[in-house]
This record gives sequence, C-alpha cells and structure tokens, in this order.
Amino acid sequence: MTEISAFFDQLWIARFVVLKGLGVTVSISLLSIIAGSLLGVLVGLSLVYGNRLLRLVVRAYTDFIRGTPVLVLVLASYYVLSTIGIELGPFQAGILALAIFCSSHVGEIVRGGLQAIPKGQTEAAKAIGLTFRQTFAYVLWPQALRQFLPAWVNTAAEMVKASTLLSVIGVAELLLRTQEIISRNFLSLQFYFFAGLLYFTINYGIERFGKYVERKTAVPS
Amino acid sequence: MTVHQGNIMIISLRAGALSLATAFLLSAMPAAAQQATSKLDEVLARGHLVLGTGSTNAPWHFKSAEDKLQGFDVDIGRIVAKALFGDPDKIEYVNQSSDARIPNITTDKVDLTCQFMTVTGERAQQIAFTIPYYREGVGLMLKADGKYADYAALKAAGSSVTISVLQNVYAEDMVHAALPEATVDQYESVDLIYQALESGRADAAATDQSSLAWYMTQNQGRYKDAGYGWNPQTYACGVKRGDQDWLNFVNTALHEAMTGVEFDFYAKSFKTWFGKDLAPPQIGFPVEYK
Repeated sequence: MTEISAFFDQLWIARFVVLKGLGVTVSISLLSIIAGSLLGVLVGLSLVYGNRLLRLVVRAYTDFIRGTPVLVLVLASYYVLSTIGIELGPFQAGILALAIFCSSHVGEIVRGGLQAIPKGQTEAAKAIGLTFRQTFAYVLWPQALRQFLPAWVNTAAEMVKASTLLSVIGVAELLLRTQEIISRNFLSLQFYFFAGLLYFTINYGIERFGKYVERKTAVPS
Repeated sequence: MTVHQGNIMIISLRAGALSLATAFLLSAMPAAAQQATSKLDEVLARGHLVLGTGSTNAPWHFKSAEDKLQGFDVDIGRIVAKALFGDPDKIEYVNQSSDARIPNITTDKVDLTCQFMTVTGERAQQIAFTIPYYREGVGLMLKADGKYADYAALKAAGSSVTISVLQNVYAEDMVHAALPEATVDQYESVDLIYQALESGRADAAATDQSSLAWYMTQNQGRYKDAGYGWNPQTYACGVKRGDQDWLNFVNTALHEAMTGVEFDFYAKSFKTWFGKDLAPPQIGFPVEYK
C-alpha cells in the first residue's frame, strides 16, 4: 500500500511535467498526422492518376520511405539536413520525419482505396457525361474515403507510437518526460506503466474517433 | 520547449551568417586574422553557451521536482559559462540522448558537451576531449546495518555473497573482477538493484560509484560504501576537433575550477551530488607538478 501511495505522491509532484509531455506528444502526433495525410493524399493521387514519370518518381519515394525505419528518418532529418545547410530544431526535424513517413503510408492507402473501385463506375460516369473532376468528386472519392478510413486510423495510431522515437533527438515528449521523472525517483515500473496507459488512452481516442467518422460517412442502408 | 527550439534555429541561422561573414573576411585578409574564427569568439558574440547534456541520469544531468535541469554535468557547464560571461546561467541547453553526444558536437548543434562521457581512444578520434573533471569507477554499496562490514568481509565470504547489478553483457565479469566467487544477480533497472539490496535478496549492489554516492546522500544513514572501487573511467567534456583556442579556453575554465579561483564552485557541486567534502588544493607549489 505504501508503494502505491508513494507512486501517487510522485505523480502529484510530477503532474505538470507529465501534462507537458502529453501535450508535446499530442501536438507531434496531430501535426505529423495532418501534414502526413495531406501530403499522402497527393502521393496517392499521383500514384493513380499521374503520368508515367510522376508515377515512377512517387513510387520510388513511397517504396524508399516505407522501407526505411522511422528512427533512421528521424536521425536523418535532424543530422543529414544540417550538413546541407538546412538547420531544423529537434521538434521541427522530428515532425518532418514523421510527416514524411506518414505520407508514404497514407499514399498507399489512398491508392488502394481508389483502385479498389471497379473501372465500370468511371466508365458509367463518363457515359452519363460527367467530367473527370466531377467523376472524382462525386463518384470515386466518397467511396474511396470509406475504404481507407480504417487503415488511416491504424496509421494515425502508429504515428502516436512513432512519436516516442523523437526522444532520441531530445524532444521532451511523454516518453522522455517519463524517463526524466524515473531518473529522479527510481519508480521505473510504475511510471512506465502509467505512460503506457496514457499512450493507450490517446490511441483509444483515435480509434473511437475513427469509428465515429466511419459511422457518419457510412452509406445509409 | 518550442521557444527553445526557435532560439536554436535563430542561433544557427545567425551562426551560418557569421561563418559566411568570416569566410568573406578570411578571403580578404591574410592568415594572421585567422583566430577570429574560433568558437570562443562565436560564443562570446552570441552571449550564451550552447551546452549539450542529457536529462535522465541522476546525479549527472536530471530534472528537479520543479522541472529544472541540474546535476554535476550541468554544474560543469555552468563553470564554463561563468568563465565566459561571469554568469553561470547564460546557457542554452540542448537535450540529447547518450547516442547523440558525438553527432551533436560534430554537426555543430552544441558548443560543448558535458554528459558523463567516458574518454576512449575511439571517441578521441572523432571529437576533442577536455581535461577530465571526474574519475568514475564501480563500487559496492552495503546496508548500514547489514551482515558484511566492508569489501574485505564480502571477499572473505566467497560464493555465499550475492551481488545485484544492472543487466549487461559484461556484468558478470565486472563483478568477478572484484569478487571472484560471488553470485551475480542481474536486474533490468537501477531501482531494482537497490530494491534487491533493501529486501535482502542481495548482500551488496554494484554500480557506478557516482550513482551509489547520490543514492546514499538521498537516503542518509541507511547504506554505506564498501570502500573499494575498480573499473576506472575518465569523464571529460567534448568539443569539436580542430579548434585549439576553444579547447584551451574550456580546459582553462575546468582546470581553475579544480585547482584555482572557482574551486569553491566545484567543491560545492561535488558535495551536493556526491556527498563528499573536497580538501582545497595545497597553497604554494602547484599541485599539478607533484
């Protein structure tokens, strides 16, 4: 019992530090998911509708990024960019790396979602006189959106977990904050468990949000 | 934190502009003006020191309950800042993991790194080490009211002694170097090796003497040092290679903290983090030549 109360005492002392770390983790995740998704949609569209050259370039980009560990991307954007004169702070470099990683995954999800729609629909749309723009906006995109929502939620949860890697370049996110607390009070099991609980809570929230959007965008039956 | 990073960016932009400017100057001026390009001048012009250190290892570099960076490494950086500006607080900290110590020096993310860095030949090829500011070694911590009085008693007890140690490939060999017959129990984290000692599952805990010293100052009267140290390692700060002026400056600041005008600063910090009083350097013939 005393151990539990010792933990809560220490948690109370560290409450603002934990909250700050949580805030940084949430902002890293949000920024990289938003930037990564926007870029990822462009990647997906290029993969499906781009000309041969664009497709080739974007294909090389996604395959290269998806085949690289996130940690390597994080270190590269922090160190390699500075050797060619682009100086990013750890926070910016981290967001850049995560957004790029996210974009390659979202790109593939978008491509899959669009290509899963039978060709006949595009042909039918053409037959009733829709322009490509209209076909895309009213026929293809709404269906693709429903296709890729579950996979997108999965990627978003991955990004939250990947944000812990930014602790390596000194971004004071939740994991680094937790380690700082542990180095002071030596309650490693308790605080790591607590951090795990917070990560789970964030990802559970994302999952619920995804389910909510899926329900809202479902085809009424 | 973001304000901080913004600062770093502005500073590095400024540093970039500075080096551009100096490059221009250099091409226009003869070689005599070259010392103007030293990091020392850059730091002085900037008005604060960019110090690389960690935030997760007591008593070296860690956060207080008020979320303030503190520790022996931090104090060493403060000594250098005081030598530069007469103000130990003129520091911008770059929080870095142990893996980032050398890359952050070589890519100019920091002016100086003080982060319990063990001096090795391999590292000395990549960065320039300053003079040492601490000698680390492994020690043994006993319970104050425990069965064994000191190192000799532990050694005499042979294989009936159990030592708790941090999990590590070399852990077994490391303990056996001091206690050849002892039973070695490896644990995953520091708190667990202390817990093993506290609960009696281990007779002594073996880890860095600095960690033991810090733990003993935090838990006054409950533990004692077995009085034996081995596995010496030298801790020094690191700077980028090829800037002798800057290296000399940091060396001078550290040297005077251990032997000269800033001795009280160093000794006070030593007492805070390791719980030991240092005898002041002998007056008269310089201690360095003894």
